[in-house]
Amino acid sequence: MAVGLVFLATLPFHANPYLLFVGNLAMLYIVLTVGLNLLIGYTGMLAFQNAALFGVGAYGCAVLRVTLGLPYWLSLPAGGLIAMIVGVLVALPALRLTGLYLALATVAFAQFTLWVFLHWYSVTGGPAGIQMHPVDFGVLASTAEYGLYYLTMAIMLAVVALTWNLVRSRIGRAFVAIRESEVAAEALAIDLTRYKTIAYAISALYAGVAGGLFAAMLGIVVPESYDLFQVIAQFAMVVVGGIGSVWGAVIGAVGLIWVQEALRAFKEFQEIAFGGMILLTVLFLRGGAMSLIKRHIKGWDEPLRRIPRKR
Amino acid sequence: MLDVRNLNVWYGVTEVVRDVSFSVPTGSIVALMGGNGAGKTTILNTLSGLLKPRGGELALDGESIKDRHPHDIVVRGLVQVPQGRHVWPGMTVRDNLDLGAVTRKDKDGIRADIEEAFALFPILAERRDQRASSLSGGEQQMLAICRALMAKPRMLLMDEPSAGLSPRIVQEMVAAIRRLHERGLTILLVEQNVGVAGALADTAYVLANGEIAFSTDGAELATNPDVLRSYLGR
Repeated sequence: MAVGLVFLATLPFHANPYLLFVGNLAMLYIVLTVGLNLLIGYTGMLAFQNAALFGVGAYGCAVLRVTLGLPYWLSLPAGGLIAMIVGVLVALPALRLTGLYLALATVAFAQFTLWVFLHWYSVTGGPAGIQMHPVDFGVLASTAEYGLYYLTMAIMLAVVALTWNLVRSRIGRAFVAIRESEVAAEALAIDLTRYKTIAYAISALYAGVAGGLFAAMLGIVVPESYDLFQVIAQFAMVVVGGIGSVWGAVIGAVGLIWVQEALRAFKEFQEIAFGGMILLTVLFLRGGAMSLIKRHIKGWDEPLRRIPRKR
Repeated sequence: MLDVRNLNVWYGVTEVVRDVSFSVPTGSIVALMGGNGAGKTTILNTLSGLLKPRGGELALDGESIKDRHPHDIVVRGLVQVPQGRHVWPGMTVRDNLDLGAVTRKDKDGIRADIEEAFALFPILAERRDQRASSLSGGEQQMLAICRALMAKPRMLLMDEPSAGLSPRIVQEMVAAIRRLHERGLTILLVEQNVGVAGALADTAYVLANGEIAFSTDGAELATNPDVLRSYLGR
């Protein structure tokens, strides 16, 4: 892991701009996938609204920055908060749904959001979207690309560390209890509404912040970034990496961004590849890449609690 | 301790519990018996607040719990050991117990109670860091009981603790339930096993088609001609 971190930290010094972009994208998707995995993997809710909330965060950030003239350091977290509020509003009706109905309702929400992005001209600019000028990091970084790269890295590390601690707390165990037996969880006083709302809110916040980073990275926010392919891409990352594993989410995000970039020239194959990888994982490797690691690296486990160091 | 008056529960258009009344005095063991579909589990889930009754009254220590949230009911000391045990399979024995105490904040008390649970069923102590999915059926039942105890109940609702267990383990379970009762727990026991209910219950109510067909003294359960005829079909 240390090697990986050093590699990430020094990437801007030895990589070309394209590789830097890909590295940045991968880290941003780690934030998205770790958040979605809290919902799908840990709490066991088959919910697909995160792609749309990713867009809400991006549009929120862009509108606040471009239309209202707020600085980026304010519009980025504000976009995240807007996404979180929308996420909780989605959660209110979704709390009553499970399984297939939840999946259908949240995919419908994603489609509805896309429609709003396309048609609410006065705010979203319609199909042309919103142009954003580069973020000025001042003395902190020589170019916007470098600054954004390190900002994404800091946020990614914070998100992974935070989530890693969250899933090993009682809140994380309550998520898993809801996934494994909702009846037992409810009968034993685990407040389903409360913990499900927490899961929705956190994953929405992550998606929203990632959206703000994405907006700055591309310099433009357009509706098609947040379409059904976005839903599938994020879902594929969670499944291929390993459902219910923080590190699986990291591996899934990095691995699938690599696949996506390798197929950059053939956009239609990206969708086929992602769909195929979901299918193969579900058929042959239920626990995703993480289950291979658990099988072959002795002693690797992701316990749901902090294990005190043996003295 | 617990009073159920004219309870009616419906699933959609079907009435599954019809005008059921019974009470569980403090310190007693009361059994609810009856065949599959008689409404036993429905009654327990209604008491736990998982289902909303259409009519009737439920009172714990004289206070209505009819419209209470499941969380409130646990806090008030009425805790269920669900049917089929429903332990959380991916979690360790210790995490299952810890989460049973989700309503509590006293860390030291929780730790002490986990040790007490291990004293009640020493096999769980050996398995404390194993996932619950690796336990045998009997061990899972023990874990489900201990997990409920972690919420510091005054009264337990036990849904078929003997289901699917070998006769030897069933005997162990009967002894364990008796120990819990001696510690002062009031117990409402749903059972299909006449031997288990007869060995434990002070009073037994026999349900048929969502209604109480009759009640009997626990000790007479195994010899009561009504039980033998209506319930066991002899």
